[in-house]
Amino acid sequence: MTQEKIIIDVGDGAAIPSKKDMGLFSAWRISFCGAIVLLIYLVISRPDPYLKIVKFLPDGIIVTFQVTFFSIGLALIIGLITGLGRISRNRIANAIASTYIEVIRGIPLLVQLFYIYYALGRFVRVPDMVAAVIAMSVCYGAYMGEVFRAGIESIDKGQTEAARSLGFNRTQTMFYVILPQAWRTILPPVGNEFIALLKDTSLVSILAVADLLRRGREFAAESFAYFETYTIIALIYLLITLLLSKLVSIMEDRLNYYGKF
Amino acid sequence: MIRKIVSGLLGVLLITGFAWARTVVIATDATWPPMEFVNADKEIVGFDIDYMKAAAKEGGYQVEFKSVAWDGIFGGLEAGKYDAVCSSVTITEERKKTMDFSMPYFKVRQALVVPKESNATTLEEMTGKTVGAQIGTTGYFAIKEMEGIVAKSYDEIGLAMEDLFNGRIDGVVCDDPVAAQYALQREDYKAKLKIAAVLDTGDEYYGVAVKKGNTEVLDLINKGIQAVEEKGLANEFRAKWIGQ
Repeated sequence: MTQEKIIIDVGDGAAIPSKKDMGLFSAWRISFCGAIVLLIYLVISRPDPYLKIVKFLPDGIIVTFQVTFFSIGLALIIGLITGLGRISRNRIANAIASTYIEVIRGIPLLVQLFYIYYALGRFVRVPDMVAAVIAMSVCYGAYMGEVFRAGIESIDKGQTEAARSLGFNRTQTMFYVILPQAWRTILPPVGNEFIALLKDTSLVSILAVADLLRRGREFAAESFAYFETYTIIALIYLLITLLLSKLVSIMEDRLNYYGKF
Repeated sequence: MIRKIVSGLLGVLLITGFAWARTVVIATDATWPPMEFVNADKEIVGFDIDYMKAAAKEGGYQVEFKSVAWDGIFGGLEAGKYDAVCSSVTITEERKKTMDFSMPYFKVRQALVVPKESNATTLEEMTGKTVGAQIGTTGYFAIKEMEGIVAKSYDEIGLAMEDLFNGRIDGVVCDDPVAAQYALQREDYKAKLKIAAVLDTGDEYYGVAVKKGNTEVLDLINKGIQAVEEKGLANEFRAKWIGQ
């Protein structure tokens, strides 16, 4: 069984480290260790204001994590449904999924956030966190839908034919045969989307959600320590993003049971 | 020949340049009606703007306004992107450490805006509730220091008022002219909102902020403000923008 190797290249966010460049001087290690060393050095050498800033931020980091976590979960579900809709033979489902992707991908996330929170706020009163999670996952669901579609389409037709001839119905074929295989192709680009999503959660600070960026802005606006505050904010985002990319690469390894790619 | 023309042109430029009045570039966060805001013709207008224009005329210099977001406005001043900030800036001890202020030109207090059905008459009665304010303003500092209040910071005061109007938060704290503009002037808001209290955080005075040590601009502005005060022009602007 020879299967063509397919790479879906969606370049965005910190690169997921591949096994090949895991040496001592890999980009990942340099950035990660560099960021940690710099952070510790700044805090120790100038506790005022750096230590104050670091102490000011933890609840913001938690909010950023919460928004990311819930948005990823919801976006995966929306993405899977949309992806299945896109390859569906049902014309209505197909049209709905395709239109959703076209519309959402055509509107900037920042505008979507404003729209869901302030424009729809006149009619439905959703709390800020819920609005943030909905906007993030609706937006990223559209992008993930395309990734899912591409991943599913990358599986050889023979797989479907074999499964069908063994007596599986269409749903069973999809969930027991196609998706478990497609998952390996899907994971790297989906992991990239996770990382991009995490970074884009900084946009929710405009909804007055007290995330990492907003906490930093509050500190800077009061202390006027703009350089110091945004340096710390950037370092923390970098560390979180690098950790997430590492997590995704570990997940990838786990799924690579054939040791193929 | 070309050299002569160029140097001649440069000379003319220099002479006329000296003859032209000094232009002071002033940053303002034009989201704070009626003090400074953008009108339907996309012009920056308001009490502060009229005041600074009058001060410039009296002081013999030119002013140019630049719209800048509030939470980075003092960073830009520090970086020298403009000469001064005139944007309802309250003179505080904290701010005096990083910038210089002109003489005070306007007195305000902090006001609490709540929905009509609320019974609160002081900020203390808002304990356990969520109160919004604009990021980095004295109104936000006031609610943040209050025990038991959930303080929420917004980029613009208008967004905080919109959230209050939509019932997502329980109150908003800002300068009293701004509170009056939203809670008493705007047709849709005034049906639902009211000013519950003027806070006992004391009188605050607006000043024009310049970069620390920039006495050249500071002197120009002070000269202008002095003249405007002597002529009593401020009352005219107050009547025009704030009413009684």
